[in-house]
Amino acid sequence: MKTTFIQIARENSYLVIDTPGKYVVFFSNISGTVSCRIAAEHVELYLVGLYDMKKNEKYSIRTEQIHVAPCSFSDLYILSVADNSSSLNFSGLIRIEKKAQQSHAYQKNQNLILSPSAFVSSSPILEILADDVFCTHGSTSGPISKPQLSYLQMRGLSLQEATTLSVAGFKQLVYDRLEKLKSTSYKIHTCSTLKK
Amino acid sequence: MKTKKINFGYKYGFSVKNKNVFTAGKGLSEEKVRMISHMKQEPEWMLNKRLQAYHFFQKEKMPSWGADLSKINFDDITYFIRSTDKQVNSWDDLPKEIKDTYDRIGVPEAEKKFLSGVSAQYESEVIYEKVQETLVKQGVIFCDMDTALKKYPEIVGEYFGTLIPYSDNKFAALNTSVWSGGSFVYIPKNVKVALPLQAYFRMNAQAFGQFERTLIIAETGSSVHYIEGCTAPIYARDSLHSAVVEIFVKEGARVRYTTVQNWSKNVYNLVTKRARADKNAVVEWIDCNLGSQITMKYPAVYLMGDGARGEVLSIAFAGSGQHQDAGAKMIHFAPNTSSRIVSKSISKEGGRASYRGLIQVMPQATNSSVFVSCDALLLDETSRSDTYPTMRIKNNESIVQHEATVEKIGEEKLLYLMARGLSRIDAETAFVNGFIEPVVKEIPLEYSVELNRLIRLEMEGSVG
Repeated sequence: MKTTFIQIARENSYLVIDTPGKYVVFFSNISGTVSCRIAAEHVELYLVGLYDMKKNEKYSIRTEQIHVAPCSFSDLYILSVADNSSSLNFSGLIRIEKKAQQSHAYQKNQNLILSPSAFVSSSPILEILADDVFCTHGSTSGPISKPQLSYLQMRGLSLQEATTLSVAGFKQLVYDRLEKLKSTSYKIHTCSTLKK
Repeated sequence: MKTKKINFGYKYGFSVKNKNVFTAGKGLSEEKVRMISHMKQEPEWMLNKRLQAYHFFQKEKMPSWGADLSKINFDDITYFIRSTDKQVNSWDDLPKEIKDTYDRIGVPEAEKKFLSGVSAQYESEVIYEKVQETLVKQGVIFCDMDTALKKYPEIVGEYFGTLIPYSDNKFAALNTSVWSGGSFVYIPKNVKVALPLQAYFRMNAQAFGQFERTLIIAETGSSVHYIEGCTAPIYARDSLHSAVVEIFVKEGARVRYTTVQNWSKNVYNLVTKRARADKNAVVEWIDCNLGSQITMKYPAVYLMGDGARGEVLSIAFAGSGQHQDAGAKMIHFAPNTSSRIVSKSISKEGGRASYRGLIQVMPQATNSSVFVSCDALLLDETSRSDTYPTMRIKNNESIVQHEATVEKIGEEKLLYLMARGLSRIDAETAFVNGFIEPVVKEIPLEYSVELNRLIRLEMEGSVG
């Protein structure tokens, strides 16, 4: 089965996924809502977001992974780099409806804060109404790790170079992930013991 | 799965015969607020505070988020009852099941009688007096708030309502206008209270009030552990419980506040709890919510001083018809502050457990760290679990981490234990007790033993 790539460039996108298959949704530096309603079994959905914010750019993004059908998979990955006086307001919802047993839903948000006047608000939300599921979310925010910068400086890079390299490496995580999603094939989820 | 047997149900709750000498009647009005204040012979400033709060309460809207509170009828609640000083219930009159439950949970004799309302009981008074004696020697003040307002008006006046002003929220305003009872604790400089202070040692007042107001002040270098509530179910006749707890922790001091809440299932439990931590101070909230119909409670720590530390460890159990909307708030105002939140929730039989948390790192709070971990266990397909965290980071030299997981009891884990000879109930009990263990181990031994036994008891599904 083929992989469907969707790049979202405009505000407020509401996707209803009603055919099994692998979907990759990518967005970068947009505000608004990206809502995905998973209405079919055996859907494998990846949401990937990258926010590279400079000056006084301000973004407010809401994502939704709403599982209404059983036995599907969704995974959200949002990275942000906040420099100068930029700000990101992220709120992400995972909702598993009662019927959506055996769903797997994940959420990961990582924010790199480079400047004292940058601001990040992160609110990953879970609403789980079914019991036979596995859901996790994680969120981290902070500066570039000091040992990492020291390591690079010891190898002759200036602080500026070390910072630039670290930020580039951080953003690379998103590109690597997209690359990997392109090459790996769709894995068929097995739902053996679905409750009636 | 036979998980239906875990039940912290109200079936063991009981009512204490109440010999009221005075009741203000249902509903609330300015006149009633004046009357409460007058009956307590309070100073003018307290009356004014109550009135201001009352007016704010009248015009403030209900919170638009969180649990469903639309069924509260403010006109159908009795806001003030003055009970007789000594209750005259007899231990022998209590139903057999309740005595049996206490026996099997292992509640000590003195505590059993206190819980059952036999408050004029000999042994307890002896314990109470002994505790008071040692405390007084150290200069510790431990009494109910009404007494504190009479005996130490200057201390109460200095702190009352400064951390949680009446304008904080509708229920804080309600509490400020009609508060009665609650504890007052003052720990002088460098005094370390070894014994946990427990509300039920305070025999001269009702331990579990409807609108209780608690104020704890720990001076520089002191430490104290305060415990409220108990594992055994508490019956409340009135359906609204709205307490306010303010804690002031000065430089280098340490306060631990443990709550075990097991209200009967008709109760709306809407509580505002907040602590202020100065330089190098430590505040720990340990919060177990087992009972009530709806609980909304988010213990908060304002980290105001350099190096202050805040911690919230919580357990929420939501059974049939219950919604536990609990969580924590950590506001970092100063550099080098750290906070940790560990939340464990269990939902079963259509119960709903929610974690709601706020983390805010202010621009001046450099080099701070935050760690949040929420785990939820769903015991059947009708139950629900939510996680609503918010993290606002305004500082680029702080580290904030949050993680949450939701899962059910793994069938393979149960099988593993059962293959080793445990019955299904034993295996499930072991699993649930293991799940909440990181929090339970922080509770004083006698409580954690009771809690584990209670879970075991509920798993068996038969009591008495």
